[in-house]
Amino acid sequence: MPRPEERFVTFSIDGREVSAPAGVMLADGAKYGDIEIPVFCYEPKLGAPVGACRMCLVEVEGIPKLQTACSTPVKDGMVVHTQTQRVREAQNSVVEFLLVNHPLDCPVCDKGGECPLQDITFGWGRGISRMVEPKRHFRKPVELSPLIAIDRERCILCYRCVRFSQEVSEDYQLILNERGASSFVGTFDGHPYVAPFSGNIVELCPVGALTSRAYRFRARPWDIEGSGSVCTHCPAQCNVEFTVRDERVLRVLARDNHGVDDGWLCDKGRFAYQAIHSDERITEPLVRNPDSGELEPATWEYALDVAASAIEQAGSSVAAIAGGTTTNEEGFLLQRLVRAVGSADLDSRAGLPPVPAETQRALAAPALQATIPDIEFAHTVLLLGTDPIDDVASLDLRIRKGVRRNGVKLAVATSRPSALDANSRLWLRYAPGAEHAFVAALAAAVGGADGVEALCEKADADPKAVAALAQLLQDGGEDVVIVWGQRIGAAPLPSLLNLAAALRLGERAGAGLIEVPVGGNARGLREVGVQSNAGPGLKDAKAGKSAHEIAQQAADGKLTTLYLLHADPVRDYADRRLWERALQGAEAVVAHATLLSDALRATATVVFPAESYAEKEGTIVNLDGRVQRLRPAIGRPGSVRAEWQVLADVAKRAGHDPQVLTGPIVTQQVVAAVPFYGGLTLEEIGGKGVRWQERDAASAAPEAPAGPFEAGEPLAAPRPNGALRLGTYRSIWAAPEVEVSPALKFLTAKQQAEISPVDADRIGVDNGGRVTVSAGDVSVLASVFVRGNVPAGTVFLAEATAEQSATELLGGEPGLVEVRPA
Amino acid sequence: MADKLLFDRIDEPGLDTIEVYKRRGGYQQLERALRMTPEEVLQNLLDSGLRGRGGAGFAMGKKVSFLPRGGMDKYLVCNADESEPGTFKDRELMQKSPHMLIEGMVIAAYAAGANRSFIYIRGEYELQAMKLEAALIEAREAGYLGEDILGSGHSQTLYLHRGAGAYICGEETGLLDSLEGKRGNPRLKPPFPANQGLYQGPTLINNVETLATVPHIIRMSGTEYAKLGVENSAGTKLISISGNVQRPGNYEIELGMKARDIIYGLAGGPEPGREIKFWFPGGSSSPVLKPEDLDRGYDFDSMARAGSMLGSGAIIVVDDSNSVVDVALTLAKFYRHESCGKCTPCREGTNWTVKMLERIHAGDATPMDLDIIASVQDQIMGNCLCVLGDAMAMPLSSMVAKFRDEFEQYIEDKRAAAGLGEIPEPTPIEIAGAAA
Amino acid sequence: MAEQSSAVARYGHGSRIPGWDDSVDLSKDPAVVPDPATTPVPDELRAQIEAAMAKYPNFRSAAIPALHAAQDLHGWCSPTAIEQAACVMRLTPGYLTAVATFYDMFETKPVGRQRVYVCTNISCSLRGGKEMLEAVKAAAGDDPDLNVRGFECLGACDIAPMASVNGEFVGPLEPADAEQLIADLKEGREVLPDKQLSRRACADPGARSDG
Ligand SMILES: Cc1cc2nc3c(=O)[nH]c(=O)nc-3n(C[C@H](O)[C@H](O)[C@H](O)COP(=O)(O)O)c2cc1C
Ligand code: SF4
Ligand code: FES
Repeated sequence: MPRPEERFVTFSIDGREVSAPAGVMLADGAKYGDIEIPVFCYEPKLGAPVGACRMCLVEVEGIPKLQTACSTPVKDGMVVHTQTQRVREAQNSVVEFLLVNHPLDCPVCDKGGECPLQDITFGWGRGISRMVEPKRHFRKPVELSPLIAIDRERCILCYRCVRFSQEVSEDYQLILNERGASSFVGTFDGHPYVAPFSGNIVELCPVGALTSRAYRFRARPWDIEGSGSVCTHCPAQCNVEFTVRDERVLRVLARDNHGVDDGWLCDKGRFAYQAIHSDERITEPLVRNPDSGELEPATWEYALDVAASAIEQAGSSVAAIAGGTTTNEEGFLLQRLVRAVGSADLDSRAGLPPVPAETQRALAAPALQATIPDIEFAHTVLLLGTDPIDDVASLDLRIRKGVRRNGVKLAVATSRPSALDANSRLWLRYAPGAEHAFVAALAAAVGGADGVEALCEKADADPKAVAALAQLLQDGGEDVVIVWGQRIGAAPLPSLLNLAAALRLGERAGAGLIEVPVGGNARGLREVGVQSNAGPGLKDAKAGKSAHEIAQQAADGKLTTLYLLHADPVRDYADRRLWERALQGAEAVVAHATLLSDALRATATVVFPAESYAEKEGTIVNLDGRVQRLRPAIGRPGSVRAEWQVLADVAKRAGHDPQVLTGPIVTQQVVAAVPFYGGLTLEEIGGKGVRWQERDAASAAPEAPAGPFEAGEPLAAPRPNGALRLGTYRSIWAAPEVEVSPALKFLTAKQQAEISPVDADRIGVDNGGRVTVSAGDVSVLASVFVRGNVPAGTVFLAEATAEQSATELLGGEPGLVEVRPA
Repeated sequence: MADKLLFDRIDEPGLDTIEVYKRRGGYQQLERALRMTPEEVLQNLLDSGLRGRGGAGFAMGKKVSFLPRGGMDKYLVCNADESEPGTFKDRELMQKSPHMLIEGMVIAAYAAGANRSFIYIRGEYELQAMKLEAALIEAREAGYLGEDILGSGHSQTLYLHRGAGAYICGEETGLLDSLEGKRGNPRLKPPFPANQGLYQGPTLINNVETLATVPHIIRMSGTEYAKLGVENSAGTKLISISGNVQRPGNYEIELGMKARDIIYGLAGGPEPGREIKFWFPGGSSSPVLKPEDLDRGYDFDSMARAGSMLGSGAIIVVDDSNSVVDVALTLAKFYRHESCGKCTPCREGTNWTVKMLERIHAGDATPMDLDIIASVQDQIMGNCLCVLGDAMAMPLSSMVAKFRDEFEQYIEDKRAAAGLGEIPEPTPIEIAGAAA
Repeated sequence: MAEQSSAVARYGHGSRIPGWDDSVDLSKDPAVVPDPATTPVPDELRAQIEAAMAKYPNFRSAAIPALHAAQDLHGWCSPTAIEQAACVMRLTPGYLTAVATFYDMFETKPVGRQRVYVCTNISCSLRGGKEMLEAVKAAAGDDPDLNVRGFECLGACDIAPMASVNGEFVGPLEPADAEQLIADLKEGREVLPDKQLSRRACADPGARSDG
């Protein structure tokens, strides 16, 4: 569907001439004339208005009945009255009706002071009560989920929460029971409302009926301050507002940026702030005592010296890895230091294979980039090798919105069943690890080339389905957006570029590619040069080793110093055992971390206490190239220092003074080093960020090679032969910040072996039983999750769980695993 | 009085089978209609002046003409929810002559260009659903439904959909949501069903009786049909009479007949020795009328002039042995029970009204409560999403207005019985800062 | 404030709404679309629901037919019944619960299989419907197989006061009929055969004249 164009119309409201965009509802249009029309049920984010609460009744000349302003679009020449006797009486009536059963417990209500019902009662209510009947009284509050409490006395039945569950997140767990005055919000048979986006209903509720159990009774509106920043828990980088009281973050609210999050947050983004104030947080430098062999608190001076001398002594034998939440500034300083000592062993790709600089430049070409809002208006969206719910949560909602509201045709091509299969026109499966063969097959099918059958055979994908997908991409309309996961690796990328060329994605504004990277700021880190084969601005640079090579070298005892900037490769990267040996093998390990992992506790030489994202200043880059700004909301705890400063101090002491005095100076250096950020300032980035592709400086993006690209010969997926193919995924809930947040702890990802009913039968296990999954002599324990839509012959395991992670099994070639009852 | 149309020999054994129905000339009007163009059929409907028999009385032909022309999927839905208290005419029609409805539906769908149709029947009508299912099978076998009916090129699917007990599903948009498998909540209008109805497609919704009349219009021609009845109220009408009368039941009358002749003549009036206290002329949602209105004609305009409405044509007679307060409470409880709960004034207004009436009933009220009740009805009327709220507010405020004395007496008697004694004088209170 | 009218039946927590006070059970998993691999559905129920789904342009329209079928099989819309229907329809059990609780004919608590709906709306209550309900309730006693309920207007005010007994409309009833009605039901006989609406002639004399 093409994006609607904005046109303005003029109408009159309470005697004022007001001009507002055509098609907006009167409730919104009135704001253009500074007139407020009270609403409860109306929330444009939830879709079409329902006109249920009747709070917004106004008089429109020429229409005998009062009209709901929330559902009446503004029209040229319309004459509206919001202040007449009739309107006032109707508004008074609705307020009175809503209060028939609403308790007057504002003094003990969490919503008190920031409650639309309070405000509207004051502004539009009658001011007296004629109701003498007793109100409803119930036990309150009761749990709706471990995260949310519900106080049904206070509910005014505006349906916002159930509409969210049914029409936005589409989980359809939260429902209205019964009807009429007996209606109440609840779930099926007392099941809790647990879904990835459930927390949004707390923010949507216009009264104190739904409250966050983590925030309840922690503060009153007059105790708190709001502070805008960006969530860095996943690459979606949703815009957030921290609620701060006494230097503590007590709540996270959405900040509504249509270019990024569309106003929604996932529960991780909403509740993992608790990790900031975890008791386990490291708040002072730790240095390993050579005598005792223990990590012990140390002074900054000492810690900086130890780190600096580890680097100095290593010479060019320094390697560094930065994790996803590192800011551009920190990453930039790190790569400068590493390159200054003569090394290029740098990585930020979460252990995935490096991508040749040429390919990267081709993928980053501004013309080939789709934007996040493009997803909403595309003709066709292809999800390739990523499930947004796990990899980039809020994008899941954006895709659903496009499909639901604008009829976007969605196609899903993944190895594991995706949460969006049910919304797609077409979904297809290929063997885990066979992305190369699959993308080559698809590119060939779209390009009309030979060999599709053979490639499908290698990918174990259904050739008919591939043909249907090719058809859909070609015939479904020109605006095609391909959302692809970085997890598919490097090999398929030339084919992906060829596919994009065949679909002419670079030639249309609403079409293009969007990469879903692994890690909160992975895109930014690559752009500022934290990688082994390209420098800042994706320019050619001396080649170095990638993460996997670094690990092998370290494990072999050939690496002196390993610098881990917010990276936990033991937990997060493939081949857990190799990384354990690598950390042990390195002579010195310098790390920045907020929490001490087992691996760091055992092997780190120096651990600098890291800032949390609510304490940080700097910039990060979103999926579609939007440069966004992190702003500190609270002070740093303990003796935690700004990390750009720590990095600068280490560099200075190691003899490579980067000459930075303030955070913004680092930003300036980053901007100067990356040509396509040319001239970008923090002011320009502002509260909503800017996509660098939309600025003039985008013309300074590196020259991209023209295709076609050499696709290479894909390997065939192994055939299950009693042993099963192993597929892995990373759950949104497999993260340390989830484990240390009391509210979220219950969601911590557990290891589950997802298998088909056929395989479960053959192996002789039931749903919920225990199995071992082994590759060679390594095995992982898991409970069985029999899923009807898992392809037979494949088992899926979670990566990055604290224990029994699938990464244990990802040592050798991707291959087959044995699954046996435990 | 005119011959019966809908009720012509309705009790003939076997009329519910296609065999008897056809022997009596059934489905000939369908054949005739299909030989006409859809526009000609529509013209007959327009000429007939037939107004909807479901309650709102909207001109049927006009509604058909609102459907956009063109090749999109269009729908016809027959409203067989019949849940308005006092109404039971569609029941008898569907049970005894299901083919008449089917024939009417195929003709109406032909005029509207709709190829898919549904009968939404209330879940409680189990016998009637069975009869209709059987008739549908016969009609399909006989080729009156399906592809290319009688070689006309017109195709028609028709399915029966059973509801599950909710008055609001008689409201046309609530019906649509229910038919789409949701809770039966009414929708915002606009868009109107004629533009965006079932599955977002243009949809014609009509009552059973309206659709069953269509074959008769084709038989007689629209202009001939229009000669029946009185101005603005053409044709015959099935009326359901119940309550305190001696011969309750369904009767087919020509519109315009005097109400007294219906209630006393056809239905025998109240039991000997009883007088009519008031009557609902058009189902429980219509404002009540007093005996002095009995000499009006029973037609759309006369009932409107009397301050009420013809509604679904269901007359409920209440005699002087009953208390108006009891009827009001029963009525209010019904609407509270049936309010879908979507919009505030209806959900809370019906709820509050019941609570106040219960207080009156319990002897804990004062005449001031009557003012609040009346004002709450005013607050409901016109402010709701659909007219279910009004459907309580209108009759209730008519009762309070017309029987205020009886209400007050009732309050006093109950207070006395409850031992609450005299009504205290209200003490005025000063509100700080309140302007006079 | 005086006592509330006793006409309102209230639960222990002071509400007339049963579910309001219920918290969720935090030990349960969220109720997502049931996985066919782990949700057994009786073949006949599956066939009925799938046949219903095929009738409509949008399969969701089969929600009410599916619930009717599941209720017929299980006696009420039990969690299992709803899960099975949801599994076939690929909907969450919540979706169907929202629908089931909206409609009067769906039972969301266990009830007897024999349904007796006694109308208490205006026309029936003018002729003793409420007393009739009490009489039938008294006759039924606490037989767990019987589900005696007051019901809103059933569309048969011509035989007021009336009741629907497993779908068969009977009336006009007199309090004395209550015992007979329950006895017929318990013995599996036809219920009050003389008072069945299905056998009743049209009231309109004109409609009968030349039949
Ligand atoms: C609360 C409510 C209940 C209604 N119930 C019915 C009903 O049971 N049967 C019916 O035919 N119309 C009913 N209607 C009227 C319908 O909305 C609609 O006007 C009618 O079905 C149109 O058909 P007609 O034009 O043939 O009368 C009801 C309306 C309201 C507001
Ligand atoms: S809980 Fe809140 S959001 Fe949900 S219906 Fe009630 S008032 Fe609205
Ligand atoms: S805001 Fe318009 S009806 Fe609720």
